[in-house]
Amino acid sequence: MGNYLEFKHISKAFVGVQALDDISFRAEGGEVCALLGENGAGKSTLLKILSGAQCADFGQYFINGEEVKFQSPIEAIKAGVSVIYQERQLVGELSVTENVFMEDLYRKKGGIVDFRKSHEETKKIIDLFQMPFAPQTKVNRLSVAHQQMVEIMKAYRRNSKIIAFDEPTAALSDAEIEVLFGLIRRLKEEGKVVLYVSHRLKELFQLTDKIIILKDGRFVEDIRTEKATENYLVSKMVGRNIGDAYAMLDRNDKIGDVVLEAKNLNGEFVHDVSFKLRAGEVLGFAGLVGAGRSETARLLFGADKLYSGEIYVEGKKKKIKSPRDAINAGIGLCPEDRKEQGLVLGRSIKDNLTVSILNTIAKGGIIDKKKEKELSQSAIEKYRIKTHSADKVVMELSGGNQQKVILGRWLLADLKVLILDEPTKGIDVGAKAEIYQMVCDLAKAGLGIIFISSELPEVLNVCDKVIVMKEGSITGRLGKNELSEELILRLAMRDADCFA
Amino acid sequence: MKNDNSNVKKTDAKGGISLFKSNEIMMLIVLIVVIAIFSIMNGNYLTYNNMTNILVAASTIGMLAIGETFLIIAGHIDLSSAHIVSLFGVMTALLINGGMPWPLAMIIVVVVSSVVGLANSCLVNIFGLQPFIATLAMSQVCEGVAYLICSGKSVPVNDVVFNEIGTTRVLGIPLPAIIMVILFIIFGLVLSKTVFGRSVYMIGGNPEAARLAGLNPKKISTILYVIAAMIAAFAGVMMTTRMHSGQPAGGAGSEFDAITAAILGGVAFSGGKGNLAGCFIGLLIMQCFNNGLTVINVSSFWQTVAKGLLLIAALIFDYFRRKKLA
Repeated sequence: MGNYLEFKHISKAFVGVQALDDISFRAEGGEVCALLGENGAGKSTLLKILSGAQCADFGQYFINGEEVKFQSPIEAIKAGVSVIYQERQLVGELSVTENVFMEDLYRKKGGIVDFRKSHEETKKIIDLFQMPFAPQTKVNRLSVAHQQMVEIMKAYRRNSKIIAFDEPTAALSDAEIEVLFGLIRRLKEEGKVVLYVSHRLKELFQLTDKIIILKDGRFVEDIRTEKATENYLVSKMVGRNIGDAYAMLDRNDKIGDVVLEAKNLNGEFVHDVSFKLRAGEVLGFAGLVGAGRSETARLLFGADKLYSGEIYVEGKKKKIKSPRDAINAGIGLCPEDRKEQGLVLGRSIKDNLTVSILNTIAKGGIIDKKKEKELSQSAIEKYRIKTHSADKVVMELSGGNQQKVILGRWLLADLKVLILDEPTKGIDVGAKAEIYQMVCDLAKAGLGIIFISSELPEVLNVCDKVIVMKEGSITGRLGKNELSEELILRLAMRDADCFA
Repeated sequence: MKNDNSNVKKTDAKGGISLFKSNEIMMLIVLIVVIAIFSIMNGNYLTYNNMTNILVAASTIGMLAIGETFLIIAGHIDLSSAHIVSLFGVMTALLINGGMPWPLAMIIVVVVSSVVGLANSCLVNIFGLQPFIATLAMSQVCEGVAYLICSGKSVPVNDVVFNEIGTTRVLGIPLPAIIMVILFIIFGLVLSKTVFGRSVYMIGGNPEAARLAGLNPKKISTILYVIAAMIAAFAGVMMTTRMHSGQPAGGAGSEFDAITAAILGGVAFSGGKGNLAGCFIGLLIMQCFNNGLTVINVSSFWQTVAKGLLLIAALIFDYFRRKKLA
């Protein structure tokens, strides 16, 4: 009897979100098994449960027929489970050897580390991986691709029974991908259980034996790779139930002149992005995580350095070098990470609402506290932020109410363009509907809205037009009539060879 | 001065412990208890003379504490402040002895000191050094230069008028103490009433969020480093007039006393919280405590130990307050 991994009825909920709902499947040793699904389908949560980083609320988890209940990643590692995440977990200042062996460096008598032996063993692994660096090299001197390989060496060295890869090829070149695939095939021949998460359908067909499709935290089906086609997989990934939230939306139908025009924007992760946005229009940006949507938003807002390109607001060319410049030009941004980038959590609702307009409510540098109080009170009432007082600390609000505070801030600031980056992430369904309506109201008031979201139904129902991005470039522009989840997903995953 | 604390109060009220309701009231009670205990132990403690002594001794530390409070709230710190006091105290003495009229010497010294503040800001904002390390290094530089320019010896000042400033009393209160209180009031108003003051809180609470809301954390912290250096240099001038000489080691150690006063007064080391009213009471608690130990004849070595324990107590208090908020 070989290795196998089995999940039975695994469920996991976070505040307001059912991340995993009754997932059951089995992955055999000697097979490469793909996990496929949209952003938010539950792949990451599943990997976290696999690795012991999180515990399932319900359900059972078996390794080779034995039920396991991991309390921490260390227990999972000891039980032979390695998960290689997208974010590398290496210590940059230490050598390859130290990273590969970590807690298990060879020791001489008396506990002193035997570096010679450890380096020798590492060298063997490096040769096996056909990598050009030395065991003594510090990890932060390596390229991103090589760091990824070190991460994989770590799992290989532990001789794990179950190895999961989360988008391992994202940073690798073709040659390196070949080496990686060779290794994965080797792991498979050795009878290990390999789980493989990737958005690149082409790779799944090259590498995997079985594909498990997830959607909205639910198991859809598992299919032998040789029986699957790309169209079939995509059709199974999409098609979520659309709730009443969208039907009730009171949308804007008056589209005005162009308020924002971006010409050939280039930044570190953005290549030659151009588009126009009209007043009253909600322009969606769709794509997979890392497609360059947030990065584009940050360029428009002056948060990151714009290498080249021009930004016009209401026909006038604007130099935007800082968020302040953007705000003065009439552009606001609700960042993706509310807590880290959007709010000063330890300060009050009032402070967070008025931070961007302090100069307009002050005389001679002194804040007009009465005016400030009136403005913040009006924003609280208008957007129904649930609080007894404007002095409440933002930290104590729910996610939905925190998001409303940021939206409220930009409403006080007399903008022309508002960029919303994943505004409903981690927010419960009720508050989501309220935020959709707020977006429509803003459009009615004549603002141009850029709506970045990884939830396709949301994009479909809230936006008038959609731009699809992949790896920093625009791969498609869709008008209202052309919008479909399938088409967006195809464009977002478009590989030259895949959809030629 | 207490306006900015209103939100903290509300949150604390939720915790339900009435004593914690207002940090300032809590600290005032501690202050009264400290004074009461020492007056019972020694009759000479609560006398006019001794109380004014406490105020004079507090004036240098108090001025530094203003700068530290601003910087700590903004998520920074300045460890060079004490040696800025020494350096520019000595420089004042040298300039006056060189024949410069004392008002001009004072202005020049305060203006020149802004260079040190700019240098601190440069290290932190351009080279990305930790404020703690950057200003520690700057502290060494200032200390060294202070000794260099006077060859390690104190510099007596002969200007009679200048020497009188430090010992002048207005309505029976020593002038340095009055100046310190005035500075506390001015900067307290800046912190609680102005756009600039609010910005200091916001960048200290979350610099990235503040930047994306249109504030400029680097600019604000630069201004703070410069202000802190200028206040410290002014404190150096005041020290020279009190001592009638420029002392190259005159300020040594007072940066830690200033930081202790701020923390005692409820300024959170993690930034974004605190105010100058609290800092002022914290300063008085610390000075009354130190002076009390002297009055009841505790050796200076034990006083240092006690000062350390006081800071630890303040930090533990801060820990419980934060835990309640989280």
